[in-house]
Amino acid sequence: MASADKPINTDVPEKDVFALHFLQSLSNLRRQNAFNSPDDTTNNRVKKIKKAAYVSMARAAGGTNRLWSRALLRRAAKENNKVVIFSRRKKRVTWLRRSNRRDPVDAERLRNLLPGGGAMETSKLMEETAHYIKCLSMQVKVMQCLVDGLSAK
Amino acid sequence: MDTSEKEEFSGEKRNDNHPADWRVSGSNPVSAPPFGSYPTENLITASCSPSQMMDSFGQTLWYDPTNVQAVGYGGSSSSSCFRGGMDWSLPNLLPPKGNGLFLPNASSFLPPSMAQFPADSGFIERAARFSLFSDMVNQPLGSPESVGLFVQGQCPSSEVNVGGVAHNNVIRCSEQGSKPNVSEDTQSSGQKGGETSSKGFDSKKRKRNRQSSEAEQSQRSEEEAENNGGDKKEQSPNSPGNKTNSGKQASDPKDGYIHVRARRGQATNSHSLAERVRREKISERMKFLQDLVPGCNKVTGKAVMLDEIINYVQSLQRQVEFLSMKLATVNPQMDFYLEGLLAKDVRELQLRGGSSSATPFPTQNMSMVYPPLPHGFMQQQTLSSVGRTISSPLSPMNGGYKRQETNGWEGDLQNVIHINYGAGDVPSDPEAAAATASLPSSNMKVEP
Repeated sequence: MASADKPINTDVPEKDVFALHFLQSLSNLRRQNAFNSPDDTTNNRVKKIKKAAYVSMARAAGGTNRLWSRALLRRAAKENNKVVIFSRRKKRVTWLRRSNRRDPVDAERLRNLLPGGGAMETSKLMEETAHYIKCLSMQVKVMQCLVDGLSAK
Repeated sequence: MDTSEKEEFSGEKRNDNHPADWRVSGSNPVSAPPFGSYPTENLITASCSPSQMMDSFGQTLWYDPTNVQAVGYGGSSSSSCFRGGMDWSLPNLLPPKGNGLFLPNASSFLPPSMAQFPADSGFIERAARFSLFSDMVNQPLGSPESVGLFVQGQCPSSEVNVGGVAHNNVIRCSEQGSKPNVSEDTQSSGQKGGETSSKGFDSKKRKRNRQSSEAEQSQRSEEEAENNGGDKKEQSPNSPGNKTNSGKQASDPKDGYIHVRARRGQATNSHSLAERVRREKISERMKFLQDLVPGCNKVTGKAVMLDEIINYVQSLQRQVEFLSMKLATVNPQMDFYLEGLLAKDVRELQLRGGSSSATPFPTQNMSMVYPPLPHGFMQQQTLSSVGRTISSPLSPMNGGYKRQETNGWEGDLQNVIHINYGAGDVPSDPEAAAATASLPSSNMKVEP
């Protein structure tokens, strides 16, 4: 784990990447007839939008190189009964280290918060959390801009 | 025992700074050679500058870039340095104790240190003798032959020396004041002191030893190092790690480097070493997170920091949920807006990214680029306005690619919105003003 991490890399793509992915997922949502018709409850719509936001964020920022994005995408795909294929390279290493690790003592709450946090070492958890925070803030910015743009109308 | 010591060394070595630190701190190591400083230097907790100087001095000795085989404690390297001057092709007198670890790191730093060597040769010799003396005094093994072995840095001797050094380090701490005596005794021990000096060096040396042992292990068998290290750094990471550590030391000598060194008194169990490494890694990441989470600069302590982080993540997630609720309510307006925006983004990203950007786009979106646009949507304008903000191709799989922060992005977004809705609806200027005015406030909301 320590091999490549000396300067911890938590680069996050630009806003437009997030925006693009989010808009794409939203447009996909719009294509669903069930989404647009009035009989779709607001709650369901909210859930779908939220899920779309997370999935697009995971895809935009982490791709398959981040543990949290992978866990997120896998979870989302499971809900849709889809199958997601990841390159297993890093996951295996993580699993190996996990087996070496003893007990993830503290940071349990953090693990519950972060998608896929239960399978990481604590130091890896911190790193993933940092990246997750960055991506989340970027996604929030994008969504805020969208909302502002739409509501300013 | 040797292996355990090696492990200990290697474990500590991870945390140790690497030669660079010493070099930085001890640019003029030798001026006064403090024999006295030697013992203090040996003290792991020694934090006085002379000891640092000593360390750096000794450190430079060890870093023989050519001698990747790890001259053991670097004694041979030091000696050769003195004599051969710039001849760095030291014979591998000592088994790869892991000098390779700091050697690569030191290679970049060597030239300056090398310049210091000729002047310090005498000092080094005395230091070596001192270490020899310490060996003899403290170590039951410290028979002349073991010392001699130590001096030459043969493989077996290096093993012995590892143990001896450990003892030496322990004892040296206590023998701070016995400099003059030591010098005489060491002189008597022999002239090979020069070589041994490197070995007998302070805790730093000890760390070097660990490093060297670590490097050695990694060199010999990576699996072995891996097994020993577990979470410990491998040799390659040690080099960057050394550099980072050195950077740390340069900035704050009392903080990372010496602190790590001070753990000499702790258990030498490999498990505890791994634990220590792990803990330090975690604390490093915590510091990183501290910078990320706003308003956490004054907070100290892992638990409180953790709580803050958790709160922040939760707040971000709640924000996402809240915004998605808002978006759901403005649903009907999204049709044209989305299409236009998407088309614009797709086009721009295609412009920038060339072929690579095409891959992540689902094919269905491509069809969106060319549908008839409603309301005379002026795509060209938005394209140009947003285009300048995009500077790199879209490649979500890359993960960590860098882009310039586009502060004007929101402004462009507003422009797009206006173009979409403004055709015949509302004059763009007041809306633009309102939108941009609301934007900063929204941003402030986003980052409380």
